[in-house]
This record gives sequence, structure tokens and C-alpha cells, in this order.
Amino acid sequence: MSFTHSEKERPRAAHFRDSWRNWTRITTVRVIVQTVMFGLFLAFVFLTTFANLDRLPGLRCWVSKMLEIDPLVAVAAAITTHTIYKGLLWSLIILIPTLFLGRFFCNWICPYGTLHQFVGWLFRGAGTEDGARQDSCTSGTFRPPRGADATAGGAPAVTELLQRHPNRYRRYQHVKYYILVAMLVAAAFGTLQIGLLDPICLFYRSMTGVVVPALNMPAPSLLGDYRFHQGAWLIGFLLFGLVAMNLVYPRFFCRVLCPLGALLGLLSRFAWWRIERDPNKCNNCGRCLLHCEAACDPHARLRKAECFVCFNCIEDCPEGALRFALFPAKEHEVTGPDAARRKFIFAGVTGLLFYPFARSSGRVTRDFSSKLIRPPGAVEELEFLERCIKCDQCIRVCPTNAIQPDWFESGLEGLWSPVLNFRMGHCQLHCTACGQVCPTGAIQRISVEEKLGLGEYAERGPIKLGTAHIDMGRCLPHGKNIPCVVCEEVCPTSPKAIYGERVIRTARDGRQIELTIPKVDIDRCIGCGICERECPVVGDRRAIYVTAEGETRSRDYPERDRNRSVRPCK
Amino acid sequence: MADKRLTRRECLTRGAGAVLAAGAAAVGGYLLYDPEGDAGLLKLSDSNARLNNYFAEVDFPASNPRVSIATGDERRIEQMVRAAVGGLDPSLGIKRFVVKDDVVLIKPNVGFDRPPYLGATTHPEVLRAVIRLCKEAGARKIIITDNPIESPRACFAKSGIRQVAEAEGAIIVLPERGRFETLTFRDREPDWRKGEALGRWPILYEPLAEATKVIGVAPIKDHNLCSASMNLKNWYGLLGGRRNLFHQVIHNIVSDLALMMSPTLVIADATRVMMRNGPTGGRVTDVIPGGKLGRAAVIASVDPVACDAWCYQHLLGRDPAKLAYLKLAHEKIQDRIAAGHRRFGQFSWKIYERQGLIVTTSV
Repeated sequence: MSFTHSEKERPRAAHFRDSWRNWTRITTVRVIVQTVMFGLFLAFVFLTTFANLDRLPGLRCWVSKMLEIDPLVAVAAAITTHTIYKGLLWSLIILIPTLFLGRFFCNWICPYGTLHQFVGWLFRGAGTEDGARQDSCTSGTFRPPRGADATAGGAPAVTELLQRHPNRYRRYQHVKYYILVAMLVAAAFGTLQIGLLDPICLFYRSMTGVVVPALNMPAPSLLGDYRFHQGAWLIGFLLFGLVAMNLVYPRFFCRVLCPLGALLGLLSRFAWWRIERDPNKCNNCGRCLLHCEAACDPHARLRKAECFVCFNCIEDCPEGALRFALFPAKEHEVTGPDAARRKFIFAGVTGLLFYPFARSSGRVTRDFSSKLIRPPGAVEELEFLERCIKCDQCIRVCPTNAIQPDWFESGLEGLWSPVLNFRMGHCQLHCTACGQVCPTGAIQRISVEEKLGLGEYAERGPIKLGTAHIDMGRCLPHGKNIPCVVCEEVCPTSPKAIYGERVIRTARDGRQIELTIPKVDIDRCIGCGICERECPVVGDRRAIYVTAEGETRSRDYPERDRNRSVRPCK
Repeated sequence: MADKRLTRRECLTRGAGAVLAAGAAAVGGYLLYDPEGDAGLLKLSDSNARLNNYFAEVDFPASNPRVSIATGDERRIEQMVRAAVGGLDPSLGIKRFVVKDDVVLIKPNVGFDRPPYLGATTHPEVLRAVIRLCKEAGARKIIITDNPIESPRACFAKSGIRQVAEAEGAIIVLPERGRFETLTFRDREPDWRKGEALGRWPILYEPLAEATKVIGVAPIKDHNLCSASMNLKNWYGLLGGRRNLFHQVIHNIVSDLALMMSPTLVIADATRVMMRNGPTGGRVTDVIPGGKLGRAAVIASVDPVACDAWCYQHLLGRDPAKLAYLKLAHEKIQDRIAAGHRRFGQFSWKIYERQGLIVTTSV
């Protein structure tokens, strides 16, 4: 809405009235709401640190709120677990209004959607061929894109222009429904994969994995300590790639891939209100397409399941032919996604096959990885895969950087789920932050007493993440007659799980030397990994290392054949 | 278009553009040329920074007590700290050590993520008393720092050190990147067989560079590897890098720390002595107030070596003659004293006792 020269010369009062109108426009209100929501999201991300939660315990129920209001998380987790975990009930505040208003979440609340819209707006301006094409659509100077045969002399018909507009509905937009159906069918079998593409999970994960660490590089301590995340490059590449798609295909992720958008699209089927075009007023100028975010065809029969309710079309219509109407005529809309039923069935079969394909590798049963050490309070692996949405909030909050995004340790299913790497950090004894921020209960909200087996938990004992093992060839006292035992020093249990055995050995030159040889008491070891982190024998594997064997969470599931080689602690 | 003739102006500008770019490339290449191939490699910083002798400016009379013990009830920690420091100089007290406008670095032991009652870290009330003493002496700024084994923020919070520092207006300096600097402690590679450990090593230098006085406040703890973690071992918390390599020569490094750091004053916190399972502890039964002394105590000293020997004997009930790092530290400091440094470093507390340089107060 650029002001022309003549507008500037108008009387002051009229000018003031116009600018007031600008501020009360619904699209302006929408932009303000989006900005606030985006700001809240960023604030939650930056506040999710151990130090902040320690200082302000009230934050715990806020930092994962964006995930808790996400209806796809709640619906998919309800399919896998048959329950709605704690804060996930908050998703109703999005789900119920969607049933009346349509997919407003996508263009009013969703911070990832806002990111895409903003980037698209920033880089899709005039001066580019695309921008010029958009502007020319309505002025009659439209040039067909390369490859299309231009009719010599005379402008092409308006309908033809609209056919080619980037904001026209395109058939690719079905894809998100197939993704949703495949993921929900897989969920019905007990493997929760929505986190791979759910926009809120994806955005949280990208912030944790690459954005915050990148910001920390030039300014350490501003946003917490310097962090490393294994496989961060792929998380970053995905974020960059999806955002960059906006330059060639506006809101590609939201229109084509987003499974949350697909779910909300299906839910908006019953919406009472929608955008309605009055064909008597409409002169087919096509301006409504210019800033249409959702590509939902407001110039024709509105695709109700696609519309983001952004109100740009109403704003742009010079004839006043568009309005947000209550119970408009059914024949003016395309109610549901007009995808073929057979393709839905195909998508369902894909999800159905995913389960046996992923599980057949045996990674979560027989051939479990000894490196698959889950955070304290994590539920048993099969339940874990039913609950974890790979949002990586636990990874963000871990004070020692020990929790890492999984890189296929638990097979295909567990990609980006939390796994502890004790070369990066260790599990701090008096910390249960990961369980406090987990929105789905994959990591239970345990207390320090429960973690350490104190008070009422004394009988059950501490939560054991795994067991430490000594590589006798690499260990300095064991294999090289050099005194060390850093592992014993840092072992936090009392009595220490790592104890020294005093031995007299004959050195190479014949001298008798007294050495302390470290040994692990497997009944005392809780698998916190500080010994591994502090071991001076660096290299691909430390001289002492922790494996998942003996972990408490699989203690009650001996039939699943996991982790039985070391007896679990009592 | 094709038959348009090139104008003279366009010929000159286009020609000049290419020539200028070619020239810039040639000049840039010449300037960046590295015939040896090592100019662009990372170099160790050639810092000539050395640690100050923080005792050098203290005008400490030779006849004053060098170890001062204050025993008392656990609830009277502040009085104990005051009595212990007062015992070293009955006339001036803390003002003997800290003068107006000093920047005082207090180094507690915040090594682990443990609550204070487990005795793995300096008792926050002892720290509070020391901060108050320094403020009363007119210190301009009080810095608290340590490089813990576990997450620094968590350790400072759990040990109660952060809360006390914030309440008393002291500044906590966390061990973050950029605050460390590699210092030279020996001009040659250390010879581990000769009892040496430190050569060039990164230490938490930023707060040390700013400080004019340094006070160590260490809890007395059992230690699995070097038998006891006391005043000397406390300076380990200033080391950066992969310091766990030093555990292979633990007595070398602890005695080298005595050489590295000449503190203004050390204060041993024996309000809760960890008798076993050190240095982490973890159970209330691992700690006894005052250890073998039977009563909570705070010990102030200008001689960290003698103080450690005294504490080792009276608090942990072990024989200091068998503690290798004390003997090594004594020898290293004697060399320094011979070279003209103002230091104390007496391996046997009994010598001080004979000379009447150990005083005991009961609060």
C-alpha cells in the first residue's frame, strides 16, 4: 500500500484517518499477533536452559507450551499411547477454534509459518521476474513465463494469467495429506514419526541444533554455554532448504509438506466461517491471488481445507467482493482436500509398511545398540518411541550438552530423539531438567529424590542409565602401569561405584611399583558417564565407557531381550 | 545492437576495469604469498603474562602467627572466620591483608554439583564471612571464581555459592571460553620424573589478572588419589585444558600448584570435613564437623603448605610425612624463597608450633 504523491497532499485529518484505518485493519492485527507469537516462541527457546529453570521454576510449564498447543502432537501421541499427557490438553485451544474458523493457526500462531511468510516477503519483492509477474498480472502487462507460447500482439486472457500465478492452488498440495495419513497409520502401530515434519517440533529442533549454537559462536555466554550436536549439519540443511524453497515456491513447506497443516485442513471441514466471494461483484481481476498465503483459490471456488484465513484477499479486493462469511453457500467451496481416495489408501499402506520395515532391523529389540543411552526418567524403549516427538527440548535444556540428537542408534525410527553421549557431557547428579520440559512424557517428570533413590524411593534405588566398563588395554594403570584413576575421583555415588584395587606390579625395569587399578562395582554404578567424560585417554573410545546395559528403564521388560548382560541395580 | 560502435569512453572504462581487477589480484597474491607455508598456521599465544605474587605486598611481621585455628559451634561460622583471621594479626586483622581499593579474588572449591551439607564444596557461610571481612577492609571489588568439573552454573547454584555471592555483592566469574590464557610456568618441558608437571598451561587468568589479592577458601576433604584435597589442591580449580592428564603425576601437580600460586591468605573450611569417599562424597555420613578435631573449625594461614600439613594431621588424622606433595611443595618453595620471593612454605607444622607460630582460639 504505497502512498502516492497526491495522497501526501491531502488534508491532515484525512491522512490521520487513513493511517488509523491501516492500524485497525485485520491484516495488521494479524501481523501483530504473528509477531507476538514468534517472539514468544523465541523467548521460550532462549529461556529453556538449566540455569533459567533453576532460577525461575515457574518457567517449566511455559517453555514447551508451543509444543503443547500443537494439535498434531496431541492427536498422534493419543493414537500411540491412548492417553493425553499432562499439558497436551492445551492443544484444544487450537483444535476447537479450528473447527469453527478454519486453519487460522497456520497464519496467526505458527512461528514456523511466520518464518516462511517473512522470508518469502523479504526476498520475493519487485525487481525479480517473479515479483514483476505478480504485479503485472493485474495491470495487463503480464509476460508469460519462458517456455509458454506468447500470443503475438494483444494481452492473454485473464483466466490464463491466473492459471500461471504462483499463488494458484497446485496439485502438489495434496502431498501433505498423504504425509499425515502415513504418519498417523504408523502411529497406530506404535511408532511416532510426526516430529520429523511437525512444524513446531522441526522449528524447536532447528533452534536447538543449529541456530542457538550458531548465535553462540561469536558471543559465548550470551545465550548459555557453547554447544555441539552430532549430525547438526542435517538439521541445519533441512531448515535452510525448507526456508529457501520460499524463493521458488511461496510457502512450500506450509502448502505442500506440513502434516499439522493437513490435520487442521481436515478439521476445518466443518468450519462455520470462511472466505466467501460474491460472483456478482467480482470482475475476475485476480488481485486476490497477489498475496494469498495458502494458495486456496479465493478467486474461484475456495479450497476450504487449504485457506490459512490470512485475510489478504479481502484486503486486496478493490470491488469488495470478498468477505469472511458465516455459513456461506456450500457450492462456492471445495470442502475437503480433493485428493483421490486411492492415493490416501496408498499413503496408509506406506505408513503400515513403515512399521515392519523399521522394526525388522531389530534395533529396538535384539540388536539394540549399547550406545543407546536415554536420559534419566526415559520410559522403556518401545514406549519411548510411542512418545518422543524429537522436539529436542531435552537437548536444549541439558546443562552439560550430554544429550544429543540420535543418529540412527535406535534405527530409522529414533532419528533426532535424545541419546546421551558421554564424550560431550555427563548426566549431572542433581539435575532432572530434561524430564521437566518433555511435553509428551517420553522422559518422565521425575524428582531428584526419585532419580537418586532417596527418601521414599530408597527401596527401589537410583535410576540407572547404564553401566561403566573399563577397557583394560587402554586404561593407564591396567594396561600401561601408569597411575591415574581420574574415574574414581569423579565418581559421584557414595560409596563410589569405581573403586581402586591396590596392586604391586613389576615395571619394565624390574622395579616394584604400587598401582591403584580402577574397578567398577556394577551394583553401585548409575551410568552417569562422568568417568567417561573425564577419562584422560581420549580417542575414538575412552578407557572407561558407559553402555546402556543394566539400565533401569528396561528392567521390567526381560522378555524384550534388552540389556540383560549386566544385572540391573536393585 | 550488434552494429553499435564502441565509444572511446566505454572502451577506456571497460579496459581499465579489467586492468584494475588484474592488478588487484596480482597485488593481493603478492601480499598474501607465504613461501614457507606456515604463516597461516595457528600459533600458540606468546603471552609473557606471569602470575603475581599476591603475598608480596603484604607487610606481614615474621613474629606473627602463621597458622591460626578457630574452633567453635557450627552455627557460629562467621565468628570462627573472624577469629581465625584475627589470630594471624591481633592488631589489624583482615586489614593486614586487604587494604582499601583492593580487588580481591576469592577462590572457593565449587568442584561438584553438591549441596553444602555434603562437604564437597566450600561452605557458603564461610564464604559469606570472608566476603564481609574483605568488604570491611575496603575492597573495591570482590570476585568469586572456580572451574568446576561439572556444569559451572549448576555447581555454583547447588553449592549455595552463587546465592551468597549475589547477596553479599560479590561478582561471580564463570569459567568461560576467552577467560583462559596459556601461561608459562616453566621455560622448558616439565620433567615428570623430577616432580614437575606444569610447563605452559591454560589457566583462568582473566580474574587473576584483575585481582590485587587472592584468598583461597578450601574445604578439607579426603581424596581418592592424592589422599587429601586441601588448600594446595584448591588451586587446581584455576587450571583449564585437559587437566585430568595430571592425575598420572598427582603429587607433582599439587606441589606445582603451590609454586604457581602465592596467595595473600588461605582459609581452610573445616566446618564439615569429608573423611572418606572423596573428593565427591555424597552421603551425610561421609562428613564430620571438624573431622578428627571433633569440633567445627576454620583455619587461616599465610603458609598453605604448613596449613595443609596441620589439617592433614589434626582433621583427617593422617601422617603428613607420608604425603608426597607436601614435601615436594616445601622444596619447590624453598627454591623460590632462595631466589628472593616473599613466601612461606614449611612442610612441618611442628616447627611452627615450637616457634609459637600456631595459635588456637575457641569461639
